[in-house]
Amino acid sequence: MQQFPVKVEQPSANKPTGGNIFSRVFDELTTFCRSRSLFILHYCTGCGAIELPPAMTSRFDMERLGISPMVSPRQADILLITGYVSVKTLKRVILTYEQMGSPKYVIGICSCTVNGGMYWQSYATAKKLNDYMPVDLYIAGCMPRPEAVIAGLRQLMDKIAAGEANGWQDYYRRYDYYLGHQQRLFGETWQTPTDVIAESKHYDLFGGDTLGAHTALLQQHQKPLEALEMRLGLTDRQEKGS
Amino acid sequence: MHWAELLAELTLMPLVAFIVGLFMVLMMRKIGARLQRRIGPPLLQPLYDIVKLFGKHTQTSHGLLHEFGIVMAVGGYVAAETLLPVPGMNGIAEKGGMITLLYLTMIPSLGLALGVGQCANPNGSIGISRALTAMLAYDIPFVIVIAGVAMHFGTTNLVDVVAQQQAGGIETWGATQMPLLALAGLFALQGMLGKQPFEIYVAPAEIATGPMVEMGGKFLGGLFVMQCFQLYTASVLYVTLFLGGGENWVSFLAKSFAVLVLPISVAFLFPRYRTEDVLTMLWKWPVILGLLGLVFVGS
Amino acid sequence: MIGALDMLLLAALAAIPLSALFATTRSGRWLLVAAYAVQFGLLIMLQPATAAHSALSFQLLGNAVGWQMDALGWYFAVITIGSAGFAAAYAAGEWSEVNGRLGLSLRWLYAGLQINVLAMLLLLASGDFVSLFIGWELTSWAGLILMLLAGGDAIRASLRYIVYAIAGGMTVFAGLVITQAAVGSLQFDALHAAAPSLGTGRLWAIALLFILGFSVKMASMPFHLWQAPAYAYSPAPGSSFLGSISARMGLFGIALVAIKLIGLAQLDRLSLVTDLVDLRGLLTWVAVFTAILPTFVAMRQNDARLLLGWHGVGQGGYMLLGVIIADRLGSAGGLLHVFNHATYQAILLMAVFAVIHRTGTADLNRLGGLVTRMPLTFLAMLIGIIGLAGLPPMNGFVSKWMIYRALIVDGHPLLFVATVISTLGTVLSVYKLLHNTFLGQLRLEHEQIHEAPWSMTVPMLLLCVVVFVTGAAPGLVLQYVAAAQQAIGLEPVRYILGGIESPTGSLDMLWITAILFAGFGIGAVLFYLIGGRSRRVHQLDNYAGGHFLTADVRYQYSDNFYAGLMHRIRPWYRGSFEWTESALVSALGAASTLARGFFEQANPAQWVLVGTTVIMTWVMWYALG
Ligand code: SF4
Repeated sequence: MQQFPVKVEQPSANKPTGGNIFSRVFDELTTFCRSRSLFILHYCTGCGAIELPPAMTSRFDMERLGISPMVSPRQADILLITGYVSVKTLKRVILTYEQMGSPKYVIGICSCTVNGGMYWQSYATAKKLNDYMPVDLYIAGCMPRPEAVIAGLRQLMDKIAAGEANGWQDYYRRYDYYLGHQQRLFGETWQTPTDVIAESKHYDLFGGDTLGAHTALLQQHQKPLEALEMRLGLTDRQEKGS
Repeated sequence: MHWAELLAELTLMPLVAFIVGLFMVLMMRKIGARLQRRIGPPLLQPLYDIVKLFGKHTQTSHGLLHEFGIVMAVGGYVAAETLLPVPGMNGIAEKGGMITLLYLTMIPSLGLALGVGQCANPNGSIGISRALTAMLAYDIPFVIVIAGVAMHFGTTNLVDVVAQQQAGGIETWGATQMPLLALAGLFALQGMLGKQPFEIYVAPAEIATGPMVEMGGKFLGGLFVMQCFQLYTASVLYVTLFLGGGENWVSFLAKSFAVLVLPISVAFLFPRYRTEDVLTMLWKWPVILGLLGLVFVGS
Repeated sequence: MIGALDMLLLAALAAIPLSALFATTRSGRWLLVAAYAVQFGLLIMLQPATAAHSALSFQLLGNAVGWQMDALGWYFAVITIGSAGFAAAYAAGEWSEVNGRLGLSLRWLYAGLQINVLAMLLLLASGDFVSLFIGWELTSWAGLILMLLAGGDAIRASLRYIVYAIAGGMTVFAGLVITQAAVGSLQFDALHAAAPSLGTGRLWAIALLFILGFSVKMASMPFHLWQAPAYAYSPAPGSSFLGSISARMGLFGIALVAIKLIGLAQLDRLSLVTDLVDLRGLLTWVAVFTAILPTFVAMRQNDARLLLGWHGVGQGGYMLLGVIIADRLGSAGGLLHVFNHATYQAILLMAVFAVIHRTGTADLNRLGGLVTRMPLTFLAMLIGIIGLAGLPPMNGFVSKWMIYRALIVDGHPLLFVATVISTLGTVLSVYKLLHNTFLGQLRLEHEQIHEAPWSMTVPMLLLCVVVFVTGAAPGLVLQYVAAAQQAIGLEPVRYILGGIESPTGSLDMLWITAILFAGFGIGAVLFYLIGGRSRRVHQLDNYAGGHFLTADVRYQYSDNFYAGLMHRIRPWYRGSFEWTESALVSALGAASTLARGFFEQANPAQWVLVGTTVIMTWVMWYALG
């Protein structure tokens, strides 16, 4: 089990440190609850998924740690990548990651997510998961036993409680970096139906490295993705006489 | 009644409902864990989940109606709880009665349906279509039960229903007087809770939790709150109709939690039916039981 | 001496040529809306408590024929003129301009609307059987004008309607002939006075013929097949007017003849084989089936107008049920439901036609996601469906609650359960309507459309206010309902401003509404103040199992919306439902065994005509022999 260092800016710089005591207490409470309630979305890519059922059921019982499985990316906190990621799968993994609500954490289970593992020579697999999205924790092994999975999850909980699991912020702050890797693999026309740049602006996660050469390329062909706002259109009479 | 007293009741009743509901959720998860020989979640797990969800940094919304749907879902139940008498507090139960309560609890579901509708996700729409179908399934035996109880006690006023049962003691309880209806009610309760074997509209492996598919952050948190209210309302209504309501808080809570044990245990022991089979199941046995019960009430 | 009633009738009459004259210009149409306001004002000035007489009267075959309006007729007249006024206002602006250019005859539309109003006023003000029959026939034929206007599908539906209407008219006429033969007079009072001494045979004949004739207009089972298409395909104002009030004239007739003139005590004398089944019992079940079956037919419709049309038929069942139970609470519920249904049905039809106005279709599989483009219309439809489904706090809940309560208290638990089944079916059906039109994915071709013009949205929203206010404070309407109840000799309901006060369970909608909105307020505070800022995303940013959604691929669930339910009950539509239909046709028609064959093979419309002819022959034989 190895922690992969993720390049993160100082977390305190953006943390809304409310001056009054209530918001501080509230922040503390939320941080604590975040660490004690984790919904996982297991993207069962490779062989490693087979180790999750024992981790969930009677023997190791993840629920006693407040960890339970969820179904859709909107509901989840942790994205579990459980093995080798083919190029085709990676597109879906990235979309899923972008659709999750932050704070969100990525755990790479299995050696294949670390460096390609035994598929290192394959033309079809992505080698290093953390080129494409920030990974908070790797659990190496081919495949890791449930004990290792549970231990890894516990370590993540500790990191969250300590306020250190901030890999997700990196995705917004250095989007250009991740997008560059994605474009290298998927081609220049790569685009997801999500709008990461707008989201980083909306949530004050816009950093110096959010935009760059790669995002410029993206914006050249990106289809508009603004939400469909309610339109009263009472003053608009252009349809009259049609 | 003095207005301050009334105001206190109106605030306390939903609050109590929420807190009791949290523990009911905990009990549900604990029973599930025990049946599967697990330890299960810690004491405050339901609360952790809700706080975490409200505290999420990103809250993905699909539009105003998506947000308002959650407001309606939570707010509708907050309102409905004041119609459900608990020991020492009647709230505005006398202004409504059981039919009103039955229909008022459809408002949160309608809110949820609206919110899900705006998510523009067919999984959600299928979920709502199935949820409404399930409602059609379990409400038919349930209204038979309501009709029987109302006829038996000669009133639709829940406060009177409770008073009559408490005045006469255990032999005048709905469950002793109308065992068949009580049994039918238990069936309907199972459907109302939306758990297995009638869990057609969540169906995680099939339609990705249906209505909840696009719900994250406080949207999902709102639904978790709604679930607390839902469990509370269903069990307290059953206690009120059949088990003599609550003489005091101890017996009231004991009864309310006890009522849920059976449906929850059943839920964790059975797989899920298909929609058609849910309809067949709920339109057959509880309806037959209920109609027989009606005959006894009528005669 | 010209009285207030004559003023009203004259105003309605004078407005007909004015309609034909002014309907083609926008300001002219607003003038016509003002004319409805004048008529409404004249109506309000009538004293509803005391019957207002008309100066017009003449002698026919030794019978004095005259007009007068009591509280019952007044109550229905308020709804009639109100619906017509709102329909006229809805169409006054852009709607008429666009549709006029498309070839719709606006003169006929507005004149037809006004003719309908006049005919209904004449019917509602009838003072004896002759004027009743005149009003009845006028109403039937006037409706045809509005139905025929749209052309196309409407023609077939109208032809079917007219066969039914003629049959109904003949049946009413037959009742009139028998009354004359049995009582010797065509005055209302004469029948009322003579009813206790009439033999059961004659009483049966009179009651059955009138009720059958009126039921055709109400479209209660088994005469329900004509109404939905006939009303649905009419142009928007016609459809909303017909859908809200037209069919209720049948209910007025039943309340007048069966409840007021024949009287409950006499009705209860009418029983079949050894008192097991009596006429009222039979009618309550007819009413309940009318409430249930059309509702489940509505659920399967893919055309929004037809869906609403079938619900109109179904809701008629509630009203009939309430009036036939005829106790204090039930009859008040039935009568109140007439008003409530008129208001929300008008909203719903207007909303659907607003969608048609913008998108050109009412096909529920070709819409979706319009809430972002037509939010006001959505709001109107939302309030309308809450009313139609009978959920608090809208007015539909109050009237249905009164009917439920009456059923439970009277010891009809099965009827109660049956009506709730109908309500649940309605909930399912209306959610499908709302979802497939306004929710889900917005189609590519609808991205550029706009909200309906204010001339269409304002009448809808005003009606929404009515639906909401009379839902929160039903006492506002119940005072007139109570007067109407007294006018037909029933005990008036005991009401308070917020609803019903009763020792065995009361209802105070003021409290319910207040608490509900307080609850919403708390919900909103929790949602918006606690928890992070939300961010709106595009509809394609959506969970699809990792799939990338694009605008050209539909990602919407609309067709066969209740697939699981239909899988279970579809066989029943073909089996039991039609069996029930044909069984009722046979019971109420004549030859029972042939009926099913006829019903399946022949045109039911013709079959009704055949049945009526048989009845007529029997009547003549009876009257002359
Ligand atoms: S690390 Fe081993 S077990 Fe895991 S995905 Fe790779 S090959 Fe399979």
